[in-house]
Amino acid sequence: MIIKSRIVLTVLLAALLLSACTASPDAANRYEKEIPLIAEVNIPETLSIHQPETIEITLTQDGQRVPDADFVHYELWSNDGSLRDPMTDAVEVGDGVYTVTKTFDKEGLYFIKLHSGNNGSIIIPQKPFAVGKLSEDELAYLQAGTPTFQEGTAEHHH
Amino acid sequence: MGKRKTPVSKPNESERQASNPSSAALYKIIWRWHFYAGIIFAPFLIILAITGSVYLFKPQIEQALYRDYYTITPQVERITPSKLVGQVKELYPDATIMKYRPGESDSRSTEISLTSGGESMTVFMDPYTGDKIGELKDKDRIMDKIEEFHGELMVGTIGDRIVELAACWAIVLIFTGLFLWFPKNKNKSKKKRSLAGILYPRFGKGKQILRRDLHAVPAFWIAAGMLFLIMTGLPWSGLWGSNFQTVATNTGAGYPPSIWSGSAPSSHVVQTKEVAEVPWAAENLEVPNSTISDFTPLPIEDVMYVARSEGIHPSYTISIPQQADGVYTLSAYPPKAQDETTMHIDQYSGAVLADYRYDHYGFVGKAVALGITLHKGTQFGIVNQIFSLLICMGIILIVASGLYLWWKRKPDHGLGAPKAPAANAKKTRLFLLLLIAFGILFPLVGLSLIIVWIIDYVIVRRVPTIKNFLNA
Repeated sequence: MIIKSRIVLTVLLAALLLSACTASPDAANRYEKEIPLIAEVNIPETLSIHQPETIEITLTQDGQRVPDADFVHYELWSNDGSLRDPMTDAVEVGDGVYTVTKTFDKEGLYFIKLHSGNNGSIIIPQKPFAVGKLSEDELAYLQAGTPTFQEGTAEHHH
Repeated sequence: MGKRKTPVSKPNESERQASNPSSAALYKIIWRWHFYAGIIFAPFLIILAITGSVYLFKPQIEQALYRDYYTITPQVERITPSKLVGQVKELYPDATIMKYRPGESDSRSTEISLTSGGESMTVFMDPYTGDKIGELKDKDRIMDKIEEFHGELMVGTIGDRIVELAACWAIVLIFTGLFLWFPKNKNKSKKKRSLAGILYPRFGKGKQILRRDLHAVPAFWIAAGMLFLIMTGLPWSGLWGSNFQTVATNTGAGYPPSIWSGSAPSSHVVQTKEVAEVPWAAENLEVPNSTISDFTPLPIEDVMYVARSEGIHPSYTISIPQQADGVYTLSAYPPKAQDETTMHIDQYSGAVLADYRYDHYGFVGKAVALGITLHKGTQFGIVNQIFSLLICMGIILIVASGLYLWWKRKPDHGLGAPKAPAANAKKTRLFLLLLIAFGILFPLVGLSLIIVWIIDYVIVRRVPTIKNFLNA
């Protein structure tokens, strides 16, 4: 009987040792949860100079569109420094879609940076885009993959 | 005093033996387990206590060792972190940047951790001038070696398991030791109850008694502290600790996922066809569409901005995402557990995906976190360090005095182990059941018990010489 119980014990312990438990994928739901705001910034397939162009921003949070977001601002600048728009409000067109309308005077590489917040989540995504054709320098710049931080922008948030 | 030929009974044992045979058997078997566990794990406990004593003072030692790397002269303007990283990339062209630690004060250098050619190192940069101050390879960090010694005896997983085993058996040692120490007045004599030999050693009753007291009395005094260090250290252990942490995390009582076990959330990646995977590195320089790429990863500046606005302790470190759906992870482990933070940030949008502070830990997580800072001696600063150091010194003292006690009592031949009693007394069985229960709670102990029983069954009982030697 003692030997039997030893075998049982051995099996039990081996099972314990081998079945090291794994982290449950939904463990995060049991702790403080964040509901991040998600932005999609749609740049038209081609952008030309001297005509108004519209960039569309769609906000979602927790799977739902976000109309009336707390704030939706953007910054726009060109890589060569010829354009530098200060923080501007995007125009809400309904159903969580916001637009930026701009007439570009010069072809080249541009950046748009969104500053948006809703229900406790703040986002600051940044996206490069091309108006017309890019110059050799701009292509080289993109290819180098250097960080594109605009000095002095980070402190302007809400 | 010469060595005796037969194992010596502990003082006072004979009285007990006479009064109650069952109690005597229990006393003997507990002493026997205490004896063997003590002799086997003594070296490991000494190693743990010594390395632990040194590691306690890690903050002061590292501050002294790396003062030149840490301290800089504050100036008016800092260069941007992106430029600082760019500088490091120029100095180490093949390196992968892993971490960025801005520095908690104006006079603290910025640390950039990287891997280059299979080697991990930290590069210390002056955030005002952009100059490199120095580099420190991970393998040259002396305190890491001490920690490795303390946690895994410098031999990896096997060492980790040995340390865990020693720690678990030290718990057995504490409780069996307390039982042996516990004053028993079974003979009900009207002698005045004296605390000599219980709370303070008896100096005038001969060497034999003094030797016993020099082990048992200090051991009683540090038992609680030693148990505390073991219990707060165990959650770190590789087998029991990681299972414990995983169970705690999964039930919502522990640390939120990704701090000890479980994975971090991932960044939101837009799946668009027209965006090539690495568009800027593509050989074809033509950009047919306006959309060059989707969002670009946030510059470090923006991550630091998030850290500041979220009120993270300034000693935080940023882990740089290495994959397209990776996240920036901000982590701060300052001296006090209450200031801890682990925060995951979407690398493209900067959205906080998970914000785990001490307040967000489950109650087990909070206890473990506090336990860790107390164990490391950082929670209450120097007082904490000195207190823990005293416990470590105490452990060294009682391990040494325990070994000395055995050495002096040991007969010329044989180990001098207490004689194994017949395992049929009720109380003895109860003790063995307790031991088995403990072995289930701590699987490594259970495993070692099984091995001991197998050795006992297969070898000890069949080989008279060994049987005699072990007094089995």
